[in-house]
Amino acid sequence: MGTLKLKNISKSFGNVEVLRDISLEVADGEFVIFVGPSGCGKSTLLRIIAGLEDATKGEVIIDGQMVNHLGAADRGISMVFQSYALYPHMTVEANMGLGLKQAKTPKAEIKARVTKAANMLELTPLLNRRPAELSGGQRQRVAIGRSIVREPKIFLFDEPLSNLDAALRVNTRIEIANLHNSLNSSMIYVTHDQVEAMTLADKIVVLHDGKIEQIGHPIELYNHPCNMFVAGFIGSPKMNFFDADKLDVKNAITVGVRPEHIKIDAKQGDYECEITYVEHLGSDSNLYLTHPKLGAFTVRVFGQVAYARGETLHASLLKESMHKFDEHENVITDI
Amino acid sequence: MTPKIKTIRWHIPLLLLPAVIIYSAIMIFPLLATLNLSFFNVEEGKQVFVGIANYIVLFGNEIYSEKFWNALGNNAYFFMIHMLVQNPLGIILAAMLSSKKLRFTAFYRTAIFIPAILSFVIVGFVWKLILSPLWGIAPDLLDMIGLKSLFLPWLGKEAYALTTISLISVWQYIGIPMMLIYAALLSIPEEVVEAAECDGITGSSLFWKIKLPLILPSIGIISILTFVGNFNAFDLIYATQGALGGPGFTTDILGTLLYRTFFGFQLQLGDLYAGSTLATVMFFIILAGVCGYLFGVQNRLRRYQF
Repeated sequence: MGTLKLKNISKSFGNVEVLRDISLEVADGEFVIFVGPSGCGKSTLLRIIAGLEDATKGEVIIDGQMVNHLGAADRGISMVFQSYALYPHMTVEANMGLGLKQAKTPKAEIKARVTKAANMLELTPLLNRRPAELSGGQRQRVAIGRSIVREPKIFLFDEPLSNLDAALRVNTRIEIANLHNSLNSSMIYVTHDQVEAMTLADKIVVLHDGKIEQIGHPIELYNHPCNMFVAGFIGSPKMNFFDADKLDVKNAITVGVRPEHIKIDAKQGDYECEITYVEHLGSDSNLYLTHPKLGAFTVRVFGQVAYARGETLHASLLKESMHKFDEHENVITDI
Repeated sequence: MTPKIKTIRWHIPLLLLPAVIIYSAIMIFPLLATLNLSFFNVEEGKQVFVGIANYIVLFGNEIYSEKFWNALGNNAYFFMIHMLVQNPLGIILAAMLSSKKLRFTAFYRTAIFIPAILSFVIVGFVWKLILSPLWGIAPDLLDMIGLKSLFLPWLGKEAYALTTISLISVWQYIGIPMMLIYAALLSIPEEVVEAAECDGITGSSLFWKIKLPLILPSIGIISILTFVGNFNAFDLIYATQGALGGPGFTTDILGTLLYRTFFGFQLQLGDLYAGSTLATVMFFIILAGVCGYLFGVQNRLRRYQF
């Protein structure tokens, strides 16, 4: 079991309010990702769940039990840190077993659990090394192993992939996904990288300025963002926003169109634009266009294109994929 | 094939030269001169080479050797008090200072460190005044809490003088281990401490299991600094107890013994050659200690990068 309920969590550092009235539920076995720009309070929220920080107001409830007064070790959680936070003076094995040793678990059981976790993460040959003798990816695996060994109700990850290089990040991401599959425990994961959020999560929580903007399945967030912030944050390249009256769209202030929902053609289309920049990514290409009336916007096309900077191109926005927003930047659902 | 041209890179020795000259002039040359001098003595008004005769006198002649072993023993005791009191206390103070719950840390840090920048003359004199049975404030202070019966003229009693002077020295220099350990403690990343917290390691076990192993290299450095400092000590004892290391030579350490031997004191005439011999012996004692540390201990201490 590992359910989590947050009731009206607020947190202030002095006069600065970092979290405002956060309420949230995590079901058993769910993979929830907190995503948001830097300074949105996502790490603070995770630390409040972990017990490393106290909430100014509100309740943290794990498995139906209020845990506000409990220390980090008694909450049945475990945390993986961005900087790995391994104990530099201990071997991998001791690093993984320290929590259990502190809890006076019998030696044989510690050994068994460490061995199991090490097998799972392919750390067995490294058990007698010290963190300084490991690569970044190996260190992060040890940190994850240290979490697994504690058999927590809820796993917490604080930007665990940020310190890894791109290739390793993808591998470790898959490893974490597999881990979630095999352990089937609840996981809460903080990241600012929306690719991680989209690929791993059962449920994404988008945070902005200490508030929850939207909670939902990744694809739901992509297809139906509830406001301009979520619309702009989810998806890469960013969604294009246009003034509604420039597009002659009624009953809206702003219109959002994703770069992949704009059709381009060399000869015909609604808007004649100039190409200001082209990014060739191989599998797809990003075109940066400007139109005298619409301004600058981005188009994403699949495959490779032969266009170059300075050329003229015709763009058409797909009407059915438009997102309309009102004056409060909230989405208008008129269908 | 391009011919190999051997160029001598003159700029390297040239740039090293000033440092080498200065260091040689004020360190290497005096050291070698002292070593050299210890093999000479004066016979019939002329300086003559006597081999190791001076050393035979130092260790064989009872007048010299008794004083030497007494000073060496006192010095070892002096060092032991520093290791047992100054360094553990410095670690405790640093641990307290690095605690986030403590307020006014900057004040405590400064207050504890100030004696280390005071002149030993001031420290020695101040403590002499504090502990004076005649006009000192120590008897009055003890009287205020009803413990006047415990007061003794600590600096004047043969049984206590060396311990007292060691503790004064501890009082003066405790800021240095404290600062070094404090810096080492601050360099432990917050996330490691938080990871330990998640593992249930808090309070004193956090210190013993996580922090202490990580500051061991700094403790090693402090130990060797203490060793060198203590075996070269002279000033505080000279200021407080005089060059004779009174009462009855009980606070006589190698520094004061060397001073009397080399420069002479009261009726004792200064002896350049015996002084050099003693200085050489001191040099080798310290060298042996430092080498023992570097090769025996330093290698085993790991420095951690976080």
